[in-house]
Amino acid sequence: MQLIIRADGAGANMLSHLLAKNPNNLYEREEKGAKVRLVYTVCDEQRTEAVLHVSPDPIELVKGSPDSYDITQYINDREFVTSSLFCAYIRASLGTALNGKPKEAFAEWVSRKFALTLSFGPVASNLPEAIVEQLFAALGYEVEQERGEADYPFALKNRSSVRYITLRGSQTLQTALRQLFILMPVLDDYKHYFIGEAEVEKLERYGEGWLEAHPQRELIVKRTLRYADVIERYEARKPAIRQQTTENKAEQGNTSALGARHEAGAARTSEPGDATDAVRLAREMVKAAGDNAEEQSAEGAAIADGASGPQPKVRLNEQRYEAICDVIRGFARKRAIVDFGSGEGKLSARLAELAGVQEVLAVEPSAIARKRAMDRYAKLAERGLGIVPKPVTGSLFYYDESLRGKDVIVLCEVIEHIEAYRVERAIATILNEYAPHALIVTTPNREYNAVYEMGGAMRHADHRFEWTRGEFRQACERWRTDAYEIELQGVGEGHEAYGHPTQMAIFRRREETKEA
Amino acid sequence: MTTEQQEQRRTIRLPHAGIVLLVGPSNSGKTTLLARLVREGTLLATETVSSDQFRMLVGDVEFIDWKGRPKLEADVLYAEYQLVSEQAFAAMENVLEMRCRLRKLTVVDATHLYPDDRNKYIEIARRHHVAVTALALDVPEETLLARDAGREQPRGRQRVKQQAQLFKRALRSLKSEAFDASYIIKDAALDDIRFERKQNPLQIELGAGIDVVGDIHGCFDEMTVLIGKLGYELGEDGLHRHPDGRKLVSVGDVMSRGPKSMEAMDFWEMHVRAGLAFMVDSNHGWKIARYLDGRDVSLHHGDEKMAEELARYEAARGEEAAAEWKTRMRAFLLGAPSHLVFARDGVRHVVVAHAGIRDEFIGKQSKRIQDFCRFGDTEGTDAQGKPTRKEWHTGHRSGELIIWGHDVRPRPETAGLTINIDQGVVFGGELTAYRYPERTFATVQAARDYSGEADNPLARRARDRFAPPNLAKLAEGYTVETASYGAIGIRGEFVKAALDTVSHYTVPIEELLYIPPTMSPPAVSADERFLEHPREAFAYYRAHGVTTMVAEKKHMGSRAIVVLFKDEDAAEDYVGRRTPGTVYTRTGRPFFQSDIERELLERLRLDLAAASYFERHETELLVLDAEILPWNLKAKELIASQYAHVGEAAVMDRAKLLEKLQAARDVGRDVGDWLAETEARLAGARTFKEAFQAYCWDVEGLSGVRIAPFHLLAHSGGTFFDRTHQWHMERAEELAGLSELFMATEHRVITDEASEEEAIRWWEAMTADGHEGIVVKPERYMTRSGGKLVQPAIKVRGRKYLHIIYGMDYLEPDNLRRLKGRKSGKKERHALMEFALGMEGLKRFVRQEPVERMHECVLAALAMESDPVDPRL
Repeated sequence: MQLIIRADGAGANMLSHLLAKNPNNLYEREEKGAKVRLVYTVCDEQRTEAVLHVSPDPIELVKGSPDSYDITQYINDREFVTSSLFCAYIRASLGTALNGKPKEAFAEWVSRKFALTLSFGPVASNLPEAIVEQLFAALGYEVEQERGEADYPFALKNRSSVRYITLRGSQTLQTALRQLFILMPVLDDYKHYFIGEAEVEKLERYGEGWLEAHPQRELIVKRTLRYADVIERYEARKPAIRQQTTENKAEQGNTSALGARHEAGAARTSEPGDATDAVRLAREMVKAAGDNAEEQSAEGAAIADGASGPQPKVRLNEQRYEAICDVIRGFARKRAIVDFGSGEGKLSARLAELAGVQEVLAVEPSAIARKRAMDRYAKLAERGLGIVPKPVTGSLFYYDESLRGKDVIVLCEVIEHIEAYRVERAIATILNEYAPHALIVTTPNREYNAVYEMGGAMRHADHRFEWTRGEFRQACERWRTDAYEIELQGVGEGHEAYGHPTQMAIFRRREETKEA
Repeated sequence: MTTEQQEQRRTIRLPHAGIVLLVGPSNSGKTTLLARLVREGTLLATETVSSDQFRMLVGDVEFIDWKGRPKLEADVLYAEYQLVSEQAFAAMENVLEMRCRLRKLTVVDATHLYPDDRNKYIEIARRHHVAVTALALDVPEETLLARDAGREQPRGRQRVKQQAQLFKRALRSLKSEAFDASYIIKDAALDDIRFERKQNPLQIELGAGIDVVGDIHGCFDEMTVLIGKLGYELGEDGLHRHPDGRKLVSVGDVMSRGPKSMEAMDFWEMHVRAGLAFMVDSNHGWKIARYLDGRDVSLHHGDEKMAEELARYEAARGEEAAAEWKTRMRAFLLGAPSHLVFARDGVRHVVVAHAGIRDEFIGKQSKRIQDFCRFGDTEGTDAQGKPTRKEWHTGHRSGELIIWGHDVRPRPETAGLTINIDQGVVFGGELTAYRYPERTFATVQAARDYSGEADNPLARRARDRFAPPNLAKLAEGYTVETASYGAIGIRGEFVKAALDTVSHYTVPIEELLYIPPTMSPPAVSADERFLEHPREAFAYYRAHGVTTMVAEKKHMGSRAIVVLFKDEDAAEDYVGRRTPGTVYTRTGRPFFQSDIERELLERLRLDLAAASYFERHETELLVLDAEILPWNLKAKELIASQYAHVGEAAVMDRAKLLEKLQAARDVGRDVGDWLAETEARLAGARTFKEAFQAYCWDVEGLSGVRIAPFHLLAHSGGTFFDRTHQWHMERAEELAGLSELFMATEHRVITDEASEEEAIRWWEAMTADGHEGIVVKPERYMTRSGGKLVQPAIKVRGRKYLHIIYGMDYLEPDNLRRLKGRKSGKKERHALMEFALGMEGLKRFVRQEPVERMHECVLAALAMESDPVDPRL
């Protein structure tokens, strides 16, 4: 990781005084186990060039990392690329220049603009070249982006995923460095430190005088502070300027987050090699635009990725939960409910609030999802409404005797996530072994995808199948045992030709049917 | 228990094993009698123990005389004698217990005048399921007194008289005590009595061999066919004899459920009586015996059919004939031994027990053993209230082959050194015979399902085989009994992580047969230029007594398990789904997209079928552990975003820096040693960036895909963990000859110093070209040293290759020094446990055990992968 600072023209040698580094000596210091080195390749009246290079200790870098058992931690670009880590290593070495406090005799040069050439890299960035260009061009630099060597004897990638960036422009050394200290981490894909008050202050201090008017201000703030609450804190500190920004945004129109997404989309169509990056970026942008991730169902994300079609998902999810709750409300027996594949517990939380429900078993194999669900249930418990669902480790591929003889089992948008040939055995276990009084199954109606204009794609990358109404009906008939009767329904806004977006099957035990 | 008055008898037969208590006061001639029995060869000198002998052993004296001493001294000496006696008895009882455990006979030479003294031994005998006998020596008081007077250290008149009184009391109570036999011998008759040793009635010489027949359940016709098939010929006397003198053995349950129970019972009764066959006790046998004995038993589970048959017989042949038959069969069934031990020259080879046996019961008799052999270990019930069958066979360590029936299995089932031969002939399955010492099976298919029972165990087993594994047994942690490593415990937290993996990512549970074990690197190299070197791997194996090793080239691809079925019928039989097979990764995820997988398996199947592979190897399936090349086939994303990306970054960083340093030097500026250092580092970065390229090439569909099998895991007949690696390499060559998708693996056999040096040169040349390295294996997969498994394989990676593992600067002396502090103990332990789990699971799969039994091994191996280990090892 390196930064090369070059000044051309009269007074170029003043650079060494502003940096407070003797041009005739090799400079080396240890910083958090990394070697920080500075050498001048030239230093005279007309040209001065300082090369600042850092080599961290790769073994030290891995120590104490929570992911130190991930092999990819050991072969790690953090050792090479310019990132927030790089800024942390060089901050002390560049302290004099960043603070603009050279020896008294050279103080006047602090505010003097030089013809600067700033080169740094390698840069690992998911930002499209156009956005990188914008980020620096807006500050008056001429930008050059050079890619690394990626000549492989087999098809691997179209171009290197690292870049070397050279900026040319007239700027004071202090401002240029401050801009780099903000923008180098913005370019980078990753942050190594905890983001808190220190970052808010840094953004304020180093961004002074250029950031507020920057057309990509929102992107810069988002990528520096990352978390909504930190960003909020930052924005709250400058109400006056925030006002100004809003006006600014209105003028600029296309430079909002949506604009960035548009750019990303363009990059994807023109440069297939960058597709993954662009998709990831688009997601980030969607979130930046204020979409609440929690309310975004997985399907919603998939559709948003396509950046086309309507976005009915949030509503559809709600409608589905409501439809399931409605069906259960109509049951005489609803004391104990099993929510299979309960994920983060949204449906379970609702079922727990239904009158007459005394037990909800939220079955989910993923520990992370169960943890999130438990946070949700904890809030539910605080509110004191209804009962609290009980998280259970399990899945459709195992037998759990504690699920036998319950009143209702729900498979809400679960079956399409497993291979079609495995669904049969799973349903057989439910109907024959667990033998609930009712089983409710929901799954997408493929026919309805035409309404979304999805062009043959499935609604979610993890869907193994999506069935037409006919296919679902056939499957239900195949699964049904003599003990059960089936009723099929549609959920969501109906379409004359394609039916409803979601289809729902209700299996009810025969004696139960008579009772009800 | 039998108590007999013995004066009239001329012969006393001592048991083959157990405890014989001599009962008699001092001077009654106990020691003299034992000396005689040893002299006559009836007893071994080591078969007798005496309290005197143990007093000597623990306290150096037989007797301490305190008489005539001052009071204080007398008290001290008396107390000391008491203490010595106490310790001597404790030691003797210990020895006695040990001898009982070892099925030895021990005669205890002590007075045993008090009931408590005798009871103690009765309890010991019961505890160890051996017989306990009392031999009382009844000598007149005058004779005792006279003998005592003549002794070197007389006990004194008073004590002798006191003992004589106690003895009289003992004689009276002896009959009511729980001895298996007790004998009272008058002194005068002693010299005329002959003593003999009984043989163990359970132990039988193997002779010309045995044919053990599984549960017949009245399937007399099938039995007749089977016996003919085994080569037995019907003689004029109505008895079947084998020309070689082989004997028939029944595991019991010859009657009930089926159509011809009486004929089957007649057959065995006649042949057992004639010494041509043996039959052990069994649950149905016991029930019918009690029924014939006139006990009030309720007949069900097919026993009622036996009673109906008998009623028909009585109606046809009359009451008398029926009564005769009943009496004969009652005696036959009640006399059936719990189990039988077949030995060659006194060494036990085969144990036959109906429902199983524990090691400590073998060769012994007791009510408890009789019960256990009839019903198996049936303590406890499962969550559904059914009695759980504990798996007694997992505890079998004593080396004999145990043949049993009772529990219907679709085919003969070997678990450790136990073989189940009840294949449910009465349920429409097969009648099985196991031949020893040939160790082969003979079977006859049932004409039909005779049982007429809705709950047919064969059907139930087939139906339940693919039932989803029971979470209650797994989720909170569990233990897997493996044949090679013993019990392996898995913690709940890791199980839960593995459950998540299986629920979201892996191939279906039924098709996830085996997780390849992790592999450890060798100890770090003593050579300062290397981190790893073959020398340490060879040294490891030599230190564990391995003289022949096989070194195989390690392909840098992606590990894969390839499961290929002969046809979809075979697949349905083995995994419950019509599928050509599966290819999955080392963590159980599908290796290919489904269309490519199908195409690949279809091509393999056609290639192998064209060469009649399945017929030649008599197999319905093929399971391979393999490496699939090239690396980018599976890992393209990882290579691009990780290895290539980091390589590009490093090369860019260092090349740019080098350029600047050169420029500075060129104009005469001081750059110190930074230039040389950067040059070396740029070279390291380039090596890193090139290292993975050797393993990558373009593929299109299947073209360019190569499968390098290095281990033939299984055919339908079994697994091949016991074969040498040369054999496995030959199988890989055979496959490579049959299909272009397969490739053989270069390897070397190491037997001496010269071949070791040759292998090192081979490794050096290969790794200098950038190849990953070699895997060194002991000649046989399962190798033990000092009773412990040794590592099944050790990988030795090349100097260049390790750049992509330990980073581009790992060879810098300071880095290398630090890296040599690595600890691989946990990795090695995991490697052994995963190896044992892998073998166990696959064996269970091949035996077509319930999916749950296979899955507990697979899940355990996956759970181990959740237990973090340094991934660079």
